[in-house]
Amino acid sequence: MILINYIACIILIVLGFYVILTKKNILKIIIGMGLIDYGINLLIISIGFNPGGTAPIFTFSELKPESFFVDPVPQALTLTSIVIGACVTAMALSLVIKIKEKYGTLDADKVRRLNG
Amino acid sequence: MQHFPILSIVTLFLGAFLTVIFGSKNETVRKFIALIASSISLILVLMLIKPIMIEGNIIQYWLGNWRPIHDWAIGIGLEVDALGLFFGIIAVLTIFLSVVFSFKYTKKDSETDKYYVLFLMLSGAVLGLVFTGDLFNMFVMIEIMTFAAVGLTAFRNYQEGALEAAFKYLVLGSIGSSMVLAGTITIYSQVHTLNMAQISALLFNNLTPAALFAFALLLAGFSLKAFVVPFHPAAPDAYMSAPSSVSMAFSGMVNKAGVYAIIRLVYVLFHAMDFKSIQILLIIIGTITMFIGVTMALAQNDFKRLLAFHSISQIGYVITAVGVSTALGLTAGLYHALNHTLFKGLLFLTAGAIFYATGTTDLNKLGGLAKKMPQTAAIFLIGAFSISGLPPFNGFVSKWLVYQATFEANMAPVTIVALLVSVMTLASFIKVAQSIFFGQMPKEFENVKEVPLSMRIPMWIMAILCVITGILPNVVTKYLVSPAVSAALNMGKYIDLMMGSGYAEKILGKPIEIPNIDFTLAGYWNPVAWLVLFGLLLIAITLVAVAGGFNTVSLPTEVDDPKYDVFFSGEASEHSHVKGNDLFWGLKHDLRHYFGFMHDAHSGIINDYALWAIFTTTIFIVYIFLLVP
Amino acid sequence: MMKGKNRQVKDVIVKTAADFFTPIALVLGFYIILHGHLSPGGGFQGGVLVASAVVLIYLGYGYNEVSKKFNMEIIKKNEALGAILFTVFGLAGIIYGSVFFTNVFANIGNVGDLISSGTIMFMNNSVGYKVLTGVGFLILLMIGLLAPDNEK
Repeated sequence: MILINYIACIILIVLGFYVILTKKNILKIIIGMGLIDYGINLLIISIGFNPGGTAPIFTFSELKPESFFVDPVPQALTLTSIVIGACVTAMALSLVIKIKEKYGTLDADKVRRLNG
Repeated sequence: MQHFPILSIVTLFLGAFLTVIFGSKNETVRKFIALIASSISLILVLMLIKPIMIEGNIIQYWLGNWRPIHDWAIGIGLEVDALGLFFGIIAVLTIFLSVVFSFKYTKKDSETDKYYVLFLMLSGAVLGLVFTGDLFNMFVMIEIMTFAAVGLTAFRNYQEGALEAAFKYLVLGSIGSSMVLAGTITIYSQVHTLNMAQISALLFNNLTPAALFAFALLLAGFSLKAFVVPFHPAAPDAYMSAPSSVSMAFSGMVNKAGVYAIIRLVYVLFHAMDFKSIQILLIIIGTITMFIGVTMALAQNDFKRLLAFHSISQIGYVITAVGVSTALGLTAGLYHALNHTLFKGLLFLTAGAIFYATGTTDLNKLGGLAKKMPQTAAIFLIGAFSISGLPPFNGFVSKWLVYQATFEANMAPVTIVALLVSVMTLASFIKVAQSIFFGQMPKEFENVKEVPLSMRIPMWIMAILCVITGILPNVVTKYLVSPAVSAALNMGKYIDLMMGSGYAEKILGKPIEIPNIDFTLAGYWNPVAWLVLFGLLLIAITLVAVAGGFNTVSLPTEVDDPKYDVFFSGEASEHSHVKGNDLFWGLKHDLRHYFGFMHDAHSGIINDYALWAIFTTTIFIVYIFLLVP
Repeated sequence: MMKGKNRQVKDVIVKTAADFFTPIALVLGFYIILHGHLSPGGGFQGGVLVASAVVLIYLGYGYNEVSKKFNMEIIKKNEALGAILFTVFGLAGIIYGSVFFTNVFANIGNVGDLISSGTIMFMNNSVGYKVLTGVGFLILLMIGLLAPDNEK
């Protein structure tokens, strides 16, 4: 059922936003960003899915007009998106390590020297 | 010729990688690589002016030669029209001047190889963003841009708040990128292509609910990249903590990239400017942006943070003018975008020069530097006059166009707000000038020197460009702005060149209209007269001053006579400089509730900022679903 | 769990497992990189597999051994080399007289052979090279940050 995919990805995205909005631990905020990423990746894959389609891998002789396969473009997009998401997480974690060294806390309420 | 756009992007990325290999030990080598890469890219982009801006061609370029098959785009394409090239010129100019400025400016920093690597990647990403013709490619470039910008924000991580600013920028930026990605993929689910020209053709008169949803998400995501007001709070933090050459790049090209994406989205991709409601939405967010930006700037006491809020405010002008979807409005918006890059870059460089010379940008600690740094002071005044919209500098031209465009569109209240914002901009720059360059100099700045020549050259170039765009508006409009405006309005040509001629007419079902760029400038608008008047006044004042006409008594500077001492309520004052915070205390006291509320709203907590972004996105979605047919 | 001196002596099971799996990870990773143009997978996936060998060595032998074996500076430069190679193979299209990223010499070899796809294969391999050095660098950096001070 493709509907379950959409429901799951909406749940993941909303959960991610909920975590970003309510959790004060900046490590948890990064987890929230990750959840949004995964939700969107699931959305992309679900959009490219055709029920009953095969994997889009063919050689020239195998490819016929009646071949029925899932859309390969969203899969390439997902791969790019996963790589970017991993980079975001790595970068955010390294910033968190530095913030912990400098501020001595992970509390978002205390990491607010720049305000006003 | 057709390879120039891709080469200009690749050169910058190649420069970044070469810096990693050869520049990690030797300072000179990395500077050399950065200079060569940025100048090659500058030259390549400037050489595109003749074919694209003047002859009106559009360069289309399919990577790997994957041309459309059966009218269906399957490859990634670059498409450089006049609108993209306009922002490309802004970007390369900023890149080149910023690189030159940073040679001496980063002298005291260690590990500058990482600085140049990140800076070149940022530049390449911005160029890629404005030249690309593919929606997903745009997302990737936005992500590279955000990464590099976050890294550069945290570059001086010994400074107060740099890490914090970088973290906030990363969280907000990643929310924005997620919105862009979700919007992109929602469009893909509707039209099954990622090529912007083809999307534009297929979405014409075909705005399904999913497409509207995607439009709202993309608008919110790109607004976040342009730092429009409810999305803005990461911007002042980042601009303030980054090195000044990077702040210049941020305000000069990173948020211009967001503006470009908004223009491309509303004018070309969705044809949304046919709807009155979208125009009003853009005008509303633009007006709010310019007003809140400038009032926040009035309350700041750090030079760079103040400039950052002004940057937000000026972007508000651009968005407002773009929202007035007439040819005049778009001209005003693009002209102001160009001018904003010039004068805001100039002012950020001045801030960098001040920081280089004194080690601080706190307005309450500085004072009286005009005597020590006369050239910087002169350059600052040019920038301040430009941003405040005094004739004959460039801010006057574009602000005049904004007033005229909003007034002719029957938006007189917006015109009044724009005028008010301009006045407050002037007020806040009077404050800056007074507290940095005039008044009494604190004792610790006795040994301050003028900044080195390699830092002054980019500043002077920008100052001269500010004056040129101010006194030759007809030339700039004719050769730079008008082609970009007609490119933005003429999406039929954009589609045709990418997908093969005849495609647009077939899909759109109507012949391509050539947009009519026709407007007359109202009012007494003759820049040369203003320049002559300005020069004459300057000469007159100088002559009178030299002749002693002002009856100045030359006071002995070092006197022990107590009658020359500054006298405050019975006690001799040590230091009588009026501080930056105190200059507009009356205004601030009368409006203390507003300023207090705005100060509390910018709480510095990342959860609050994320809440603003998500809440505003929700409002966009609801508004667009309710009011677009 | 293991504190003080005991931390230097790794569990023999972990060590043996690391010895056993490291070659497998390397061979599988390089296989996937090399056949990226023929089968599912490609430079990125293979590169991550190869880089995971670093984690295995860390698990088996601890931070000291890893930091002795790998020079971070050289790895960083090699990552940039991978990126440059990728760009150069892209530029080969322009030199060849076509456009950027054009597949030069596409018509050599039979479909399904290792050398059959022109520059696509080399581009894929440079991506793999970049990813294996890049992710390896990232992992080294992180285990360097996580390592307790007495092991540094």
